[in-house]
Amino acid sequence: MAKIDLSNISHSYNPNDANPTYALNPFSMTWENGKRYAILGPSGCGKTTMLNIVSGLVKPSKGNILFDEKDVTNLITEERNIAQVFQFPVIYSTMTVYDNLAFPLKCRNFSKEKIDERVKSVSDTLRLSSFLNLPARKLTADQKQLISLGRGLVREDVAGVLMDEPLTVIDPDLKFRLRRNLKEINDQYKTTLVYVTHDQNEAMTFADNIIVMDQGEIVQVGLPKDLFERPKTTFVGYFIGSPAMNIFESQVSSEYSVKINNIEIKTNSNLTKLKDKNVKLGIRSEFINVVEKEGENTIKASLTRVEDFGNFKLLTANMDNFVIKSKVDRELPISIGDINLYIPPEKCCVYENEKLI
Amino acid sequence: MEKLYTFLKYTFITLWTVFIVAPFLWAVSTSFKDFQSVNSKVTYIPWLDFEPTLEGWRVLVKSPARGGVDIVEPYFNSIFVTCTASLVSIVLGTLAAYALSRFTFKAGFVRNNDITFFFISQRIMPPIVLSIPFFIFLSTIGLLDSLLGLVVVYIVLLMPIAVWIMVDFFNRVPKELDETALIDGCNPYQAFYKVVLPNSIPGLIVAGMFCIIFGWIDFFFAFILTFTEVQLLPVKVVALNSSITPWWSLSASALISVAPLIIVAFVVERYLSKGNLSGALK
Repeated sequence: MAKIDLSNISHSYNPNDANPTYALNPFSMTWENGKRYAILGPSGCGKTTMLNIVSGLVKPSKGNILFDEKDVTNLITEERNIAQVFQFPVIYSTMTVYDNLAFPLKCRNFSKEKIDERVKSVSDTLRLSSFLNLPARKLTADQKQLISLGRGLVREDVAGVLMDEPLTVIDPDLKFRLRRNLKEINDQYKTTLVYVTHDQNEAMTFADNIIVMDQGEIVQVGLPKDLFERPKTTFVGYFIGSPAMNIFESQVSSEYSVKINNIEIKTNSNLTKLKDKNVKLGIRSEFINVVEKEGENTIKASLTRVEDFGNFKLLTANMDNFVIKSKVDRELPISIGDINLYIPPEKCCVYENEKLI
Repeated sequence: MEKLYTFLKYTFITLWTVFIVAPFLWAVSTSFKDFQSVNSKVTYIPWLDFEPTLEGWRVLVKSPARGGVDIVEPYFNSIFVTCTASLVSIVLGTLAAYALSRFTFKAGFVRNNDITFFFISQRIMPPIVLSIPFFIFLSTIGLLDSLLGLVVVYIVLLMPIAVWIMVDFFNRVPKELDETALIDGCNPYQAFYKVVLPNSIPGLIVAGMFCIIFGWIDFFFAFILTFTEVQLLPVKVVALNSSITPWWSLSASALISVAPLIIVAFVVERYLSKGNLSGALK
């Protein structure tokens, strides 16, 4: 349990080359004690590198890591007292389940009673109690991953538990329960949990704070609601939400409005200070409504596809070369042809050079 | 179709077994024959075709003074040299292989693969290339014609095998296993011997088996680097031959020479089928 500070961290895997490429661009961040964080981003964006830097498996090219204000940058992994769970289960296949769970405590010379108590408690939480005396290699893949997870949770004094897509191999039903378990553990022990994933639903349901990364860059840190409603860059807009945010090329036409194909759309953003008149307008498909009549902030488009997802309908409409997607109530009667879509100004996000203004 | 396949399979296995086992049966029966039974007419069945005798076996343990050839001492010499050299090779080779598998080495243009290849290249070279350097080396340090000298040379010969097998093996052990051990609080040495090594027992057994086999059967270096003080089994067995070939004692000595390897094969086979890596990851 610790506050983890990452200060001016950057990392390159080829720092001595003439033109080093950076897996992580310089950033600073603080992970508060006892909070849950999710690191979200596409494959290869530097998520795993970030975790490995915190756990000490990778030494950053630049910058410092502090656990509770204590500089641990030069400490090796075993001295950091941190737990990390990998994407695929790693078990000590020659040991029993009990010995697997006890291993981190044994390495740190805990008393036998304490080890017993902790292993019992963790195995109860993860429902591994009945397997304790079995050789770990006899278990199924998801049970093995539970062991990996258990080894991370067995130390109470751990600075943080880092998880690198830990639930990939676990079936959806158990996944759901485990995420809730992790939350409970976090509430109970106030362990700092950091969870790497490329699945936005996993991130949204798990974390207090979501860190969105792209190409070695941290693009946005915030609550699930912020990421959804006010994505800071068009990348976040694309990446978060299903379907991705609607993003339209547009021109600034007045103080508060932009033009898409000569249709004036009012927004709540003040656009007077913009140098470039070419901007992008972003709007979530959830906020676009079908209305009967044309009017202010409506777009006339031709509906080309209706997909029924059971709990909602996804409409795909074309307006000249633009494609607009809108999520509507599944009960809404709808037919292929021309429709009017209303774009609420308060939900519009305007992007200059891919960045929110 | 299925039946035909089964039939062909068992026919092949039977033929192959006969091909392998027949020489052994021949050697077993010959080892109990005497000069008469070998040279006069073709004989197969003991007591019926010929009168079995233990003479072929007896001469192996008699001292030369009593008309024997005494392969007991060379036998134990061979066991000592093979086991010592194999053990040292496995220990050093495993450590070297672990380092080559997990750390990145750079020395000029030399990289990990080059170092691994350097080890293997010692086995690719024709042994005769190494004989003169070894001879001069051992004679310089005064270990020619000694057990210790042979152990040193055999380590050089066997370690590449151990390195080769173990590098390949460690490369297949996911590095997350080591990393997990580090995270759980091991230092790198503990991670190696508490976690990685127990997972590598199948590899160690295979490497050990190959070391023992190659150490045990080597004739060339044992022949070149020893004279009178020390003799190893393969050299001694060959030395049994004379103008009248003693088929009976040659057969007997051949049988007890391969006996240890047969035992090793049986023990290892059991381990190989039981111990495997399945389940360490995924």
